[in-house]
Amino acid sequence: MPHCNVAFVIALASLVISACGRHEPPEIARRSPAAAGVSAPQDTTFAGTMAPVQRPPSHPGATPRILRSVDVASAPGYDRVVFEFAGDSVPGYHVEYTTKPVRRCGSGDPVSVAGAGKLVVRLEPAQAHDERGNPTPVERERALGLPTVKEMKLVCDFEGQVEWVLGVGAAGPYRVLDSAGPGGPARVVVDIRHGP
Amino acid sequence: MTARLKPRLGCAARAAVLVVLVAACRRAPVEPCPSPLVAGIAAQQAAPVARPSPFDSAFAAAGAEFHVPPALLKAIGWVETRWQMVEGAEEFPGRAPAFGVMALRDTALVRGAARSGVTLEAARRDPAANIRAAAALLDALAGEAAIDRSRIEQWSTVIARYSGIERSDGQAAYRREVDRALGAAPPDLARGAAPAPTACQPPPGSGGAPDYPPGVWRPSPNFNARPTDSTGRTHVLIIHTCESNYASCWSWLLNPVSQASVHYVVNEDGSEISQLVRERDRAWHIAAAYDCTLNRRHDCWLNGVQSNDFTVGIEHAGFASQGAFPASQLEASAALACDVTRDRGIPRDWQHVVGHGQLQPANRTDPGPNWPWIAYLHRVQALCGEIVVDDSARFNDSTLAAAAVPAAWPASDTTPDYYGGGYRWAATQPDATDGAAFSFRLAASVSRTLDARWTSGTNRSAQAAYAVITAAGDTLAVVLVDQTSGGGFWRALGTWTFPAGWNRIVLLRRGAPGSVVVADAVRVRE
Repeated sequence: MPHCNVAFVIALASLVISACGRHEPPEIARRSPAAAGVSAPQDTTFAGTMAPVQRPPSHPGATPRILRSVDVASAPGYDRVVFEFAGDSVPGYHVEYTTKPVRRCGSGDPVSVAGAGKLVVRLEPAQAHDERGNPTPVERERALGLPTVKEMKLVCDFEGQVEWVLGVGAAGPYRVLDSAGPGGPARVVVDIRHGP
Repeated sequence: MTARLKPRLGCAARAAVLVVLVAACRRAPVEPCPSPLVAGIAAQQAAPVARPSPFDSAFAAAGAEFHVPPALLKAIGWVETRWQMVEGAEEFPGRAPAFGVMALRDTALVRGAARSGVTLEAARRDPAANIRAAAALLDALAGEAAIDRSRIEQWSTVIARYSGIERSDGQAAYRREVDRALGAAPPDLARGAAPAPTACQPPPGSGGAPDYPPGVWRPSPNFNARPTDSTGRTHVLIIHTCESNYASCWSWLLNPVSQASVHYVVNEDGSEISQLVRERDRAWHIAAAYDCTLNRRHDCWLNGVQSNDFTVGIEHAGFASQGAFPASQLEASAALACDVTRDRGIPRDWQHVVGHGQLQPANRTDPGPNWPWIAYLHRVQALCGEIVVDDSARFNDSTLAAAAVPAAWPASDTTPDYYGGGYRWAATQPDATDGAAFSFRLAASVSRTLDARWTSGTNRSAQAAYAVITAAGDTLAVVLVDQTSGGGFWRALGTWTFPAGWNRIVLLRRGAPGSVVVADAVRVRE
C-alpha cells in the first residue's frame, strides 16, 4: 500500500478512515481500532498477559474458516491486529510469544521479523486462500512501523492451519478478543500494549 | 411430472456422460483421461450413483421438482460430501464455508434456499431442504446459461458454475469427478444399453506423472533441491491429510504464494492422484526438524535435520478429524506408497511410513486417529509382494501371518529399529527345545525369499539358528545368523520353494549359554 507508508496513530474515538481512503488495498487496511474491530474497547490500560492464550475450535472437524482480511491500527496505549474471517464464526486460535526460530510450515525455512519479540498467532482450522487456490488476503508480509508491531508475516497456510508471526519492538502484554455473530464479520483481535 | 420428465432427461443425461468426459479431456490437455491402472481401481466398484444413498428419495423428488437429473444431484452430492451432512458451526446468516449434503456456500446457499422456498436454517440443517436448494440453484444456473436441458451435454457448463471454481483446470477436474460419480450408466437416467465407458483417450504427449505414470502431472513451483549428503537420502514416507477437498488442495499447492507443496495428492475416492513435485526434489510438506524420539528412536543421527530433506509426502483429500477413509482412497494410496517405497528403497515398516502429526506433534495431527495404519501398511506390503510376520499379533495380517512366541520369552523395545512395537528375546541354552515360530500362508506352491530382522547388541548370539519348515513339516534348512550386528534391517536367509499352506520359520533358543536370541520379524518376498 504505497499511499500509506507512514504509520498512523488514530484516536479511538475517530471514525475517520479516509486517511488511507480508497487507495487502501482491501486485504490489509489500517484503521482506527474502533473501526477495525469488535466492540470498541474503552480501556486503554488493559492488563493483558505474557502467557499463551488459546481457544479451541468450536467443534472437532469444523470446516476451515477463510481468513478474508487483516487490519492493523494503533491506539493510545496499544496496537491492534484484526483477523477477519468469511462467514459468521471464527476458528480456534493459539497466541503466544516465542523465542524459538519461526519456520514456514511447508518448507521449514526460518523466517525473521523485525523487532525484539515474536508473537505467533495460529488460527485453526483456517485457510488464507479460497477454493480456487487464490490467496485471501494477497498481502502475506508487511512492514508496519506501528509503535509496537513492526512487521507481520504469514508463515503458514497449509492443511487447515494459518499462522502469522508479529514482530514487536518490545514484548509487551497482550490480549485476544474474538467476535462472531449475526450481521457482523467474524474477527479475532490481538491487542499488544505499547512499551513503557 | 416425474413421469413426464424422466424419459427426456434420461436420454440426455446418458449422452452427457460421454460428452462431459470428452469435454474434460479436450479442454484440459494436462489432465489426461484416467490411466488404465487408475481406471481399473475405479472400475472395481460400482459408480457411486448406482449405489444406494441415504438421500435417494430426496434426490429423486428435488430433481423432478426442479427439472434437474436426480443422478446429477446425487453425483454432485457424492463429489462434495460423500453424501454426508456437513455442519456449519454457527446458525446465523452470512457466508459460511459449506452446508449439507450438497455443500452449499455463501450466496449459493442463500439463492438456492430462496428459490426453493426453504429457510436458510433448513437449507443448512435439513438434508431434503439442502438438496432442494441445490436443485433450485442448478435450475437457476441452467436457466441463466440458457441450456437446452434435453441436450444434457450442456449441463457441463452448469456443473462448472455450481463448483464455484474459476480455474479452468479446476473446473475440468470437478466435472470429471462428477462424471466419475455418474458412472457409465446412471440408473436414474439411462434407458436401454449403457454407453461405452471409455469415451476418451489420453491426449498424445500430455504425459503422466514423472515418478508415478498413473498420476496426473501438475508441477508445483514450490520445491528445491535435497541436500546432496547423506541427510538428503530419501527414506521416509509421510502421510498427510489436506484438510480440504482434492481440487482445492492441489490448486493451492500449485500457487507460489502458498510456500507449501507435497509430492502427491490422492483424491477422495482414489480415482485420481496428482504428482506436484518430483520425488528426487524436496517438497515443502513438513515444517518439523527431525526428532527420533518421535519415531521409535530411529535414525537419531538425523536429529535436527529438516524433515523435508529426506521424506516423500502424500496428501489425502479429506480431514484428520474424519471418522473413516474411503476404502478406494486407501487402496489407491497404498498402490502409490508401494511404488514410492519400491523405487526409493524405503522399508515398509513403522519407522519409514509415518504420519505428519507423529513427527510434528506440536501443531499437527494428520492424518488423524482414524487412519488405519496397520491395515494400510499391510496393503502396501501386499501390493509390493511381501508378507511380514511380526512377533506380535497386533502387527500381523491374521489371514497371512501368525507368530507363536513362548510366553517365557520377554518382550522389549529397548534397542531401536525393531519391526512393529518391539521384539521378544530369550537366553540361549544348550538343551532348550523351544523356539519362536513365524508362520506365513501361501495360496499356492511358490518360490519365496525369506528375510529375518532382529535388534543387535553385544550380548546377542553370533549363531542364532532359524529353521525353515514347510507346511508339510519338512525342514528345508537351518540358517545361522550373527545377531551381534546387522540389527534393524532385513537380512536374507535364503530362497526356497514352499508348498501351499502355512509354512514357518522358527528361531531356536538352543545354543551355547551366555547370549540371547532376538525374535523380531520375518519377511517373505517374491
